[in-house]
Amino acid sequence: MAETFPDYDVLAKRNTPSWNERTRDVIDARMAKVERPDILAERQRDTLRAVTARVVPQPAHRAPVNATALVLDKIGSDNGDGFRHHELPDVREAWARGLDAIDAEAKSRFDTGFARCSAYQQDEILASVQNGDVKAPDWATLPPKLFWSWRLIPDIVSAYYAHPSAWSAMGFGGPASPRGYVRLTTNRHDPWEASEQKNDELIPAKVRNRHGY
Amino acid sequence: MAIDPEQTPRAKNGRAPDVMTPGGWVSMREYPENEEVDFVIVGTGAGGGTLACKLAEAGFSVVAFDAGPYFRPLEDFASDETEQNKLYWTDDRIVDGDHPIKMGSNNSGKAVGGSTVHFAMVSLRFRPEHFKTRTALGYGVDWPIDWQDMWNYYDEAERALHISGPVSYPWGPKRGRYPLRAHPLNAAAEYLARGAEALGIKWTETPLATLSAPIGQSAPCVYRGFCVTGCSTNAKQSVLVAWLPRALKAGAEIRDLAMVGRIETRNRRCTGVHYQREGEWHFQKARNVVVAGYAVETPRLLLNSANEEFPDGLANSSGLVGKNLMVQLNQAAWGQVDDEIRSYKGPPSLAISEHWNYDDDKDFHGGWSYMSQGPLPITWAKSLAGGRNLWGQALIDEMARNNHSVGLKMVGEVLPYERNRVTLADDTDQYGLKIPRITFSLGPNEEAMIDHATDFMDKSLEAVGARERWKEMDDTCHLGGTARMGFDAKTSVVDADCRSWDIPNLWVCDGSVFPTVGGVNPSLTIQAIACRTGDRIKQMSARGEL
Amino acid sequence: MLGLSVLADSGLEHYRGSFRNPAMVFPLLSSSMAIGFNGRRLEKPLSDEKTGPLVSHLTSAATGVVGLGFHLYNVMKRPGGLTFTNLFYAAPAGAPFALALAGALGSTADRLARGKDTLGPIHLTSGRAIGLLTSFGLIGTVAEATLLHFRGAYHDPFMWLPVALPPVTAASLARDVVDDQPRQITTSLLAATAAMGLIGVGFHAYGVARNMGGWKNWRQNLLVGPPTPAPPAFTGLAIAGLGALMLMKKRRKARG
Repeated sequence: MAETFPDYDVLAKRNTPSWNERTRDVIDARMAKVERPDILAERQRDTLRAVTARVVPQPAHRAPVNATALVLDKIGSDNGDGFRHHELPDVREAWARGLDAIDAEAKSRFDTGFARCSAYQQDEILASVQNGDVKAPDWATLPPKLFWSWRLIPDIVSAYYAHPSAWSAMGFGGPASPRGYVRLTTNRHDPWEASEQKNDELIPAKVRNRHGY
Repeated sequence: MAIDPEQTPRAKNGRAPDVMTPGGWVSMREYPENEEVDFVIVGTGAGGGTLACKLAEAGFSVVAFDAGPYFRPLEDFASDETEQNKLYWTDDRIVDGDHPIKMGSNNSGKAVGGSTVHFAMVSLRFRPEHFKTRTALGYGVDWPIDWQDMWNYYDEAERALHISGPVSYPWGPKRGRYPLRAHPLNAAAEYLARGAEALGIKWTETPLATLSAPIGQSAPCVYRGFCVTGCSTNAKQSVLVAWLPRALKAGAEIRDLAMVGRIETRNRRCTGVHYQREGEWHFQKARNVVVAGYAVETPRLLLNSANEEFPDGLANSSGLVGKNLMVQLNQAAWGQVDDEIRSYKGPPSLAISEHWNYDDDKDFHGGWSYMSQGPLPITWAKSLAGGRNLWGQALIDEMARNNHSVGLKMVGEVLPYERNRVTLADDTDQYGLKIPRITFSLGPNEEAMIDHATDFMDKSLEAVGARERWKEMDDTCHLGGTARMGFDAKTSVVDADCRSWDIPNLWVCDGSVFPTVGGVNPSLTIQAIACRTGDRIKQMSARGEL
Repeated sequence: MLGLSVLADSGLEHYRGSFRNPAMVFPLLSSSMAIGFNGRRLEKPLSDEKTGPLVSHLTSAATGVVGLGFHLYNVMKRPGGLTFTNLFYAAPAGAPFALALAGALGSTADRLARGKDTLGPIHLTSGRAIGLLTSFGLIGTVAEATLLHFRGAYHDPFMWLPVALPPVTAASLARDVVDDQPRQITTSLLAATAAMGLIGVGFHAYGVARNMGGWKNWRQNLLVGPPTPAPPAFTGLAIAGLGALMLMKKRRKARG
């Protein structure tokens, strides 16, 4: 799909009244996060990296999202979500078992590790976890559908959409404090919001976005 | 480097954080642990924080505990969904049943001010009949409080919160004018309004606890749209901003990062509470104990306080502590439109229709309302991934169309069932306390309401030209019912004044006292009940009945 | 003065509306033009330039009347139609009225400066016509202030002032016009109203500062805070009222 907001960048607002100091600190720290080598085993991290790449593909023409590093960070922090499904273990244990089981699923189907499968094969494996029609015996201690919908998807998707590149790609206004918004009604937006790329526009989005902060 | 409010208590040494000034302080009275204070309150949310203010202003000595940090929103809050997870209660809890509840964000809070720090500010009154569902509508149980009594306390709560609302409210008995005028509609709210008009039902601007004009040191709302992750401008009238500064001024003490683990009793009366602060257990003596931890932590504390005198937990002679857990239904309908909606702007629920709370021509019990929506990116991505099974490039592409997505979300009444309950699990948490197990299943009545509501909201979207419509079927919000109030000790945990039947100096003041939850967001009703309880305690004290 | 107030206010508010409708630039052009001509009139009161100012004043009046139509249409097409929320937040119905008034007052000043006594069938030198027009203008402006200060829930007691004072002024002026007898109290009231308009700018500037981020966040707060250019509309009208009183006094003196 063609990009809707090719010339919009949330980060251009970093030094405007749209971002308060706390927000700058938090997002700077997040973007600087790298994969922690002390969380999970190396092979599990390889699998996680490959899973993340398929579940949330990187945005085109933008700084890559460090989603794997953010998921590892969450696993390492031992921060729960405030609830645990009675059939699932805690965060770290669920991920460890889940990544091993995905890897085992790849072996049983394609005779190689998940990280070495083709994109097409990886998607087939992930779909089997999503739908619960798995073959590997490793799933005996981890219900695949629950792992998918209560652990894998929320954690990976939350990590990806915590990154400014992902916000820019979807035309989200991004951080907004102390400055919020003035124009709220249908089809209106403030100069500091993303302008959509529309071919019939007199002033192209590229120009609008350049003046917008 | 400033002290981390999530690690080190701020409210100490005779001062508490001034929420209106970055780095600021206000003076705070402190009570020694061996002094028997009039009231210990466990929890500072909609119930406990409000009651702390009322009791302190009535001249009682009050110490209010909260397990969470004491934030100054202006300096501590980022415009960021992930960072603001720090406002949620994310300690371990086990969920089971046919429809396990996802806890955390929209049904809990772990901060001074409780979940009002991140609530969506929707401030509605119950329909009068919803206080008497058994006799008036033939389902559920009656409240022991009269709606006219509540109407006065709704007034009081609305004034204290400077509610911004429509000049005249289209449903229910007459009410006074809201203190402030309604906020402008955003595009998502306009779509609700046009849909309601197309279907021939009434709608209005949602009464919200966020300022539309400057009041005191609070600036009016800037429509930044991060309301449910905490308001960094103090426009939101949370308990943290609206009630607690008053409580402090009136001489209440607030202890942050203080987790109450057990209530002590002797001779069938409470004597005080054991709490953990800065890694150590302490004991605070008290003449009265008020539990205000919301529908999970309240029964958990009562059950965890079981002792020789009360082997089944405190206030539990009826066996109802933890039972009749209710959520509210939070299903949604979504669609795509040609217009730019950009629902990330403004409070998420600027328009509402309460039509189905007041129309009884339905083939199921209970009421529901619906509001316009404005999900932030992570929330929206989880909705698409969970509700439509999208992942990979399909998810990324759909996310890029978010500015043209528009949706409606219900708040629906769930009936009380004893099988839905909070019990104690064997696992323990970081304080060494048994963690709660939360069991929940929907019944056929709820399924019928969900069908009715999602169909109706879908029709409303269709009527205004939304395409690619879909229904988000898996979401709940708010809690209630696990320490219900009632008419006698056999069928309820507390009386109309929130006083427990079993222990005369033990009170419960939060959403867990709700016998039924109605079809509107509960926070205003909780605050109105706290106002009423405050007045009742004052009257009883004057008559020597405490 | 009224022209300046209208220019700045409509500039600000139509910028907020992103000049969505091309017609939204008209009031800016028209009020700028009016300020231009009226300003020059101050320098060269006896200039005999005719068509320019006349076109300008007619344009102002016409733009105001047409604008009123546009703004009412904007209110009515919003969901709910004629509701308080739409009157608060959609295009303000009262604002274009000020431009029409500026046009009418401008024409009057023009004719008087050129020594003409009448504008069409209306006699001007008596001052009574201007006085009446000013009374109406004050009432219209008060209506707008009342509505918008109600939107602000009269959170500051001073917000009652522009609602309370100008109607008294307008009534007093109308009484003088009807009796054809300028009174001292009216002069005082008009002076107070004029001063209030100027002080109002200060209050509105304070109101902007009370919004989140204060003046540092001016790109938002100038638009959402109380409109700083609006209150001097009262000053402009009050000065016109004082002019009317002067004319009335002059004529009485002439009559002996």
